[in-house]
Amino acid sequence: MNKCERKKILTGLAFLTPNILGVLLFTIFPVVFSLFMAFSNWDLKQHNRFLTDHIQYVGLDNIRELFTDGRFLRFFGNTLFFMMGIPFAVAGSLLAAIMLSKDTRGGGGRPYRWLLASVGLVVSCSLLAVGGMRSTGMTVLMVGLVSSILIAGVTGGKSVYRTLFYTPNFVSGVATFILWKKLFNTQNGPINNALQPVLDHVASGVNALPSPMVSYLMWLGFVLILLLFYMGTGYLRRMLVDGELGRIAALLPLIALCLPIWVACRWSLSSPHAWLLLVGAVVCLGLQMMHYYKAEDHYTARAGDGFGSALILCLLVMVGEFVLLGLSQVAWHLPAMAADGLESPRWLTDVNWAKPSLMAMGLWGALGSNNMLLYLAALTNVPGELYEAADIDGATSLQRFWHITWPQLAATTFFIFVMSTIGGLQGGFEMARVMTSGGPAGATTTLSYYIYQEGFETGRLGFASAVAWALFALVFSVTLFNWKFGNRYAND
Amino acid sequence: MKYLFLIIALLLGVLSVGTYLSFPGIKSDVPVIYWMTDRNAARDMQVEGFHQWLVDNGHVTDQGKPVVELRLDITNDDVAKKIIQAVSGIGSDVMDTGGSHLQLLQTMGVLEDITELAKEQGFDPSQTYKAMLPEITIEGRQFVFPRNIYVMMLWVNKDLFKQYGISPPPSRWTWDEFEAIGKAFVAKANVGRKPGQRVFFVDFLHLTQMPQSMGLSVFNETLTGCDLGDARFARCLERVRQWTYEDHLLPTADDMNAFNAVEGYGGAATQLFHGGNFAMIQSDLSVLTQLRKFEPMNLDVVELPNGGYPTAIMGARSASIYAGSKHKKLAALFLKYLTSERYNMQLVREADALPPDPRYTQTELFKRPPDYPNEWGVHEKFHEVAMTIANGYARSPFVLSSVVQRETSWFSSLYDNGEIAAMEAAMKIAQAVDRRIADNIARDPKRKVEFDRRIAIQKQIDTYMAAGRKLPAAWILNPFYLRYYTQQGMIEATP
Repeated sequence: MNKCERKKILTGLAFLTPNILGVLLFTIFPVVFSLFMAFSNWDLKQHNRFLTDHIQYVGLDNIRELFTDGRFLRFFGNTLFFMMGIPFAVAGSLLAAIMLSKDTRGGGGRPYRWLLASVGLVVSCSLLAVGGMRSTGMTVLMVGLVSSILIAGVTGGKSVYRTLFYTPNFVSGVATFILWKKLFNTQNGPINNALQPVLDHVASGVNALPSPMVSYLMWLGFVLILLLFYMGTGYLRRMLVDGELGRIAALLPLIALCLPIWVACRWSLSSPHAWLLLVGAVVCLGLQMMHYYKAEDHYTARAGDGFGSALILCLLVMVGEFVLLGLSQVAWHLPAMAADGLESPRWLTDVNWAKPSLMAMGLWGALGSNNMLLYLAALTNVPGELYEAADIDGATSLQRFWHITWPQLAATTFFIFVMSTIGGLQGGFEMARVMTSGGPAGATTTLSYYIYQEGFETGRLGFASAVAWALFALVFSVTLFNWKFGNRYAND
Repeated sequence: MKYLFLIIALLLGVLSVGTYLSFPGIKSDVPVIYWMTDRNAARDMQVEGFHQWLVDNGHVTDQGKPVVELRLDITNDDVAKKIIQAVSGIGSDVMDTGGSHLQLLQTMGVLEDITELAKEQGFDPSQTYKAMLPEITIEGRQFVFPRNIYVMMLWVNKDLFKQYGISPPPSRWTWDEFEAIGKAFVAKANVGRKPGQRVFFVDFLHLTQMPQSMGLSVFNETLTGCDLGDARFARCLERVRQWTYEDHLLPTADDMNAFNAVEGYGGAATQLFHGGNFAMIQSDLSVLTQLRKFEPMNLDVVELPNGGYPTAIMGARSASIYAGSKHKKLAALFLKYLTSERYNMQLVREADALPPDPRYTQTELFKRPPDYPNEWGVHEKFHEVAMTIANGYARSPFVLSSVVQRETSWFSSLYDNGEIAAMEAAMKIAQAVDRRIADNIARDPKRKVEFDRRIAIQKQIDTYMAAGRKLPAAWILNPFYLRYYTQQGMIEATP
């Protein structure tokens, strides 16, 4: 290396040094240091510059406490619950991206439409003011707003919608949370103002009908659950027969399918009738086993083959089963509930509604997030000739999507899933702190909020670090799982 | 390019030096101390008053200037910030330290033990209300001195009662009387109103005061266990739920959110009280700082309803000295200033709270502020309650109050949501707190000796009580029980 080259390298290093030092000092060092903290008993109430006690190594005590205390598992459960929204959020942002890739611009008459939109909005707002912010005014505002947006879309084209959809992403999180707090308000929030008249009609309708007619909808729900179960197990059976799925790999997806049946047996609301579900599920399994052994050509796969695809599909079926289970129980209890009228939920203060409410809010934010932008970009990269070939073959819109768009977006979907999973496990702090303070009864406390509580409200830095590292281990495992079993490449 | 970077680096260096030189302490001729406090217009006047007091009392330099300059730090009055700054050695010299913060910060050792200093300079506990002792001392050592003192009472809008033809409540009343008057009030006040426009009887009731008014404290006599797993506490939970969700005497959290009131100091309740949405609100004297901005109201105050034993909650917003301060003696001057006539009379004028020195409540200005005749007769009731039935919060050295609050809120929410029964909630709160105490003792074996000593005493107390025997006063470490048992004649006469 000559003098000039050495000088160049030194100059380059000199430019890089401040950045490297910053990363080392403010990122790498705290991360490594927190790993040591996780195995210590560092508690600010016992160890700080004003106290004489020494920090001690406690081995795996903090990790052990995570699993014996119960709160960690509960808050982990809360975090997982919020993450159940991720598939819906991804699907929503894909749908939004597909819609936003179409041009919505109409023909001439632009000024006229703008004028119409403005008049609609002004009239709605005036009526709202006169109506005193109650349901009528709110409905008028909503109708006016939606009409205005539609007209603006026709006039301004897809750019209007793209801007509108992306708006949540550049509004401050806290401002959004406060807005949603108002929307969720039980007494005068727009959601309940719109919902209550519907519930009133439902209640009067249910009360007018003979109560068994409504209650027996539960059996319909049970039939649908069993149908989903049969379809799910059938999918697994076919994969096993075709050699796409290993026997060991089939175990966890099968457990996922059976989980709602098990929950139905344990859940106090559904347990009196759940034995029927159990019997039905056993029959379904028996039928699938019969089909499996009757199949002529069995192809063998390695033990772990096909795990990712089978699990993802079974998890989706599982969510569907849970939804049907919940709805069937609602149907069973509806006549009794409707007797005194149905009340809109106390979204944020009811221990059973708080989590779904926050999840719904998260979904709203996720629809127009960066995921949508990524999908929009990826959609432009799908080769046009593939669609042309499909058109020549006479493919329907659904077939075009399923056989061309979806596979071509595999890499983007994989990236979005990985990032959303990481974000989902790490997130929820601002939301929990601003919206509910982690309540009611810890129902919305996520792991990140728990770390804050333990670290900065009670001073247990060692334990808080252990929670943080447990969270890291989870994120890392899930990412590895995604990496191993996810569909990373187009045409896979 | 490298010259451009060099210029930027130099520029940043110059700006850094400039910023450093602009620090207030650099410009001051005298030491500067910081007071970490809340954002409140009165603080500026209090700082000014302190500087004047220094001059009046001869704490001056050769040039006749105050020996110290006090500056406000209003951006860090948050418990997490306080903790981080304090343990990092950069806490403010004087810190506002009230209630559960006192316990947490004292446990961390970041508060200066001012017991001797306070005696020497005259701001020891004898200078303030007797009931304040548990709020300013821990295990017999003093760490703070109250800046102002609050007693929770119910403010009554007498005009609203008159408007609906209901007699205002008596000064002292039981839960049953509260319920009867409340039901009659909301029945008349809410005729023709929709759910979102309801008028409520009172904004909230204290889950600490309610069990106390039945002779039950959060902790046992030796502060080693939680006493809330008791049928009396379950009754408190039942009553609050009934008054909130069935009788609608108290608003739910959703009801409160539904009001489109502008929130001020202490929340939106004051505006709602003035606007006629509440017949009464539970608060201390500080409500007046808001109410004085509105049209005068016909006011009265009454005690919180009781379950048989009249009691009130009393607390303090206190000032402490940071253990890492370089100017502890100068910071102590500020605490001394809190006992001065100048400071106490300023509080009297502002009507922000009870002054730390009870003597100033005997002044005419306190009892009958000339500009506010509608308040006459109200102020001295706070003093009277503070002197007679008020109690500070019971705190255990073995568990943080914030943890107790979290567990209480957790299980009472479950009860409010109909997930568990009241007695189950009460039992679970007690079990959870006891479990936290056990965990803390296991993690900090140093405390075990003292804990075991107290447990042994607790066993003796339980045996004595089961046998109906009187208890030695020295055994009772919970200030509430000491007072309660003394009044009930359950304490041995001192020889």
